[in-house]
Amino acid sequence: MATRAFQRLPTAPAGRILALRLVAIVVSLCIIAGVLALSGHSPVMLAELILRSTLGSRFGLEDLALFMCPLLLTGAAVTVCGTIGLWNIGAEGQFYAGAIAATGVALGLHGPVLVMLPLMTIAGILGGMAWITVPTLARAYAGVNEIITTLLLNFIASLLTYYLTTGPWRDRISGAQVSTRRLSVSIPEMWGIVHWGFPVAIVIVVGLALVLSRTRWGYEIRIGGANPEAARYAGIPVRLRIISVMLLSGGLAGLAGMFEVAGTVHRLQGGMANNFGYLGIVVAVLARGSCLNVIPAALLMALILDSGIVMQTQQLSASVILAITGLILFMIAIGDELAHYRPVATTPAKGKAS
Amino acid sequence: MIMLLTGMLATAVLAGGVLALAALGEVLAERVGVTNLGVEGLMALGAVTAVMTVSAVHSPWVGLLVAIMVGAIGGMVFAFGAVVMRANQVLCGLATTFMGLGLSTALGHSYAGQPVETTFGHVTIPLLSSIPVIGPALFGQNILIIPIYVLLPLAVHFIMFRTRHGLNMRAVGENPAAADAAGIPVMAMRFWYVTLGGAMAGMAGGYLTLTYVPVWSEGMVAGRGWIALALVIFAGYRPVIVTLSALLFGLVTALSFVGQAHNWPIDPAFLNMLPYVGTMAFIIVPVVVWHRMRRVMAAPAALAQPYYRDVR
Repeated sequence: MATRAFQRLPTAPAGRILALRLVAIVVSLCIIAGVLALSGHSPVMLAELILRSTLGSRFGLEDLALFMCPLLLTGAAVTVCGTIGLWNIGAEGQFYAGAIAATGVALGLHGPVLVMLPLMTIAGILGGMAWITVPTLARAYAGVNEIITTLLLNFIASLLTYYLTTGPWRDRISGAQVSTRRLSVSIPEMWGIVHWGFPVAIVIVVGLALVLSRTRWGYEIRIGGANPEAARYAGIPVRLRIISVMLLSGGLAGLAGMFEVAGTVHRLQGGMANNFGYLGIVVAVLARGSCLNVIPAALLMALILDSGIVMQTQQLSASVILAITGLILFMIAIGDELAHYRPVATTPAKGKAS
Repeated sequence: MIMLLTGMLATAVLAGGVLALAALGEVLAERVGVTNLGVEGLMALGAVTAVMTVSAVHSPWVGLLVAIMVGAIGGMVFAFGAVVMRANQVLCGLATTFMGLGLSTALGHSYAGQPVETTFGHVTIPLLSSIPVIGPALFGQNILIIPIYVLLPLAVHFIMFRTRHGLNMRAVGENPAAADAAGIPVMAMRFWYVTLGGAMAGMAGGYLTLTYVPVWSEGMVAGRGWIALALVIFAGYRPVIVTLSALLFGLVTALSFVGQAHNWPIDPAFLNMLPYVGTMAFIIVPVVVWHRMRRVMAAPAALAQPYYRDVR
């Protein structure tokens, strides 16, 4: 009699991953619905309300695009780093650094918008790059675990933002707490409150996908991530590639911060990173190392964030969203692993197996 | 000067205790080959449930016990994903942190900002507490100091390096296939030590709100879980050294308090950065300066690698 067993494959087929991820998301949603029902909310009503106010309204769609913009860039930042096998958990800090640098330019210099915006963009990118420099060098030259170094810098960036927005750059006009004054320069809007940073972010993500899949540099990065030893043997300067990839990653997250400052919030604020850096990790995981997949992944994440706004109006704390994201991430991690297994029929040995 | 030193050491011991507990728990998990990046979230859960419990029961011991149990349950959830299902440990850990931070904020919403009334009170051990400088710090604070700094690390050290069970445990982290061949239950070993590590992270959270900072607020764990993770690397996965480095780290925190109390001409925001900057220096500088230390302080060989018995 044949018994059924499972065999683990080294790589999982894409179709099975997609299927198991759908299962993972459904299971997560069921758990969430259960918890909501237990705490006295009607999950069906809430789901209807969320769908109506996110996808079903103009404001919901505009918010969706505004949430997507930073998520596309932080998601791409984590994805690019992941291509060479490294985790950039510090996109949150690089986001702040980019926002701080861009704000510094906007507050310190005066000029026409056409000059100021490129300057702020460059400052934002450089700010993000500067913020990842220490972890990059520590990783490339001393092999120091980049997860912890990039993460610790998030707290420093957040404290620096707090210092600037309550100290030297505090709003002296309207007296808003933990905030600078409204910046005079902003990215022009293209559709409602959605600014031009959104299409630019999409173009950047698509461009990155092309660079990673079509250029020599991208090829070397992918080899370096898949098998560092083989890459070294083939003469690829892995150390230099690590440095360039991590700096690019920091620059992308910094650009996200600049877009947020100049396009959406129009001022530097404490807490403005809104977990976009951490959620970028989730986006990157959903995208499974492909920059093109970052777009639908960011859309899904933005939907979750958008529904967070609705939940707040229903007396549910906004932090519930972080817990929900964690649950989905957890289930997807398990689903991805299960996708590696293939059922095989095994027959018990009878002495003369063919 | 003596006054200042005594005060600083007392703060250092108090502040370092949080890190010592969490880091010691993480040493257990990492020694059996599992990186638990969920420490930060488990600490937050422990901290908030301790506050919630003592506001209902008025006993710090019950509060601490609940924090430990919540940490253990959280550790089991993580271990279910990372050990039983063998999913990616980095992802499961981050997910645990997200869930822990999100849930703790949601749970603690109505407790935020209220001072915790029932905490571990001052316990003064006669004679020992009158030793200058270190007496008040070690023997004149709360009852948990001695277990945290002396009993637990020594117990873990003894079990890990002086018993057969400890040898088995380390074998699971170094070479799970060989351990499995020798009949050691790899998965059970990993599951229970990760759970124990989670329990200690929960306890660290409970200790945080029941002694050191007796109030719940969102984000109050403030990266202590991540610092604990860094300390484990810094201490080369050794229980006694990790505890000592937690104390050293408490001193860095104490320094920023002293700076604020004495009105040093540095903005508090920069003094608050000290622990994070210090941690960065802690894990980068030794590797750069002492190249040879890298082998001595190396991570368990199978760290963060899931173990598949059937894959050849």
